[in-house]
Amino acid sequence: MTEGDEQGHSDLRRTIKATAASPSQCSKMAENSTLFHCLKEEGISVALTHDTLDARSIMDEVRSPKAGAIVLFAGTTRDSFDSKPVLHLSYESYPPLALQTMLSIARAIRQKHSLTAITIIHRLGVVPIGEASVLIAVSAPHRQAAWKGGEEALEDVKEKVEIWKLEEFGGEEGGIWRANRDGAAGCQSG
Amino acid sequence: MSGKPPAGHFRLLYFASATSYTRKSSDDFPAPLPITDLPELLEKKYPGIEKAVLSSSAITVNLDYVDVKEEQQAATTSEESKPMVIQEGDEVAIIPPVSSG
Repeated sequence: MTEGDEQGHSDLRRTIKATAASPSQCSKMAENSTLFHCLKEEGISVALTHDTLDARSIMDEVRSPKAGAIVLFAGTTRDSFDSKPVLHLSYESYPPLALQTMLSIARAIRQKHSLTAITIIHRLGVVPIGEASVLIAVSAPHRQAAWKGGEEALEDVKEKVEIWKLEEFGGEEGGIWRANRDGAAGCQSG
Repeated sequence: MSGKPPAGHFRLLYFASATSYTRKSSDDFPAPLPITDLPELLEKKYPGIEKAVLSSSAITVNLDYVDVKEEQQAATTSEESKPMVIQEGDEVAIIPPVSSG
């Protein structure tokens, strides 16, 4: 509990402590100078980014001669909630904790379904309507494991990963913090 | 949010509805503090936060989830078991219901 290393909110070194085998971490400035966080280990990659998500590149990350199937899921932002028009959506996160949770989900799902590889990436900040907010790619020797593993990974991500969605409806009422748990409207944003 | 809390303090991070309620991303509070005292401390500083935010949120200390209700029960049922104490330099966070995807 009382580690001598006081570290900042977005510092990723702490994410290592709770994991037995240390994944490697990459925290780089992307070309447009937005920060990109990720953790990687064999067959697993999890990441958070403010950039547009690229389906091709995450499929390439799980591509393998050992795999006979790749399943790619893209969650995209919808323009309404309960028939109310949504102006735009934005996501915020607690990056070190979210990455730690994504890594433990990826490890569990990869083992359970004997996946060759799994990649999970979530976008943060404003995500224009219709664009991808999350991508999950899994590869497996056969398609059934890939379908199942991909679906289960997504359900676990939505239930557990420390990321929050703010839906802006415009007008006077401000935004709403959504809660996945019950599908109901969350708290007014202010 | 950058840097570390001042000596003798811990940092409490707010996200989503907790940020909206406090209109801040973090606060520094004096340490040590038994974690069971945290809800009362916050309720004093931000009246109504317990019902509006804390009742549906989880709490982490240095990236580990801590069950505050369990800590409270342990503290009241047995004199020997003391609740967890937040220490100087710790990073504590209020985790509202998540909504990724």
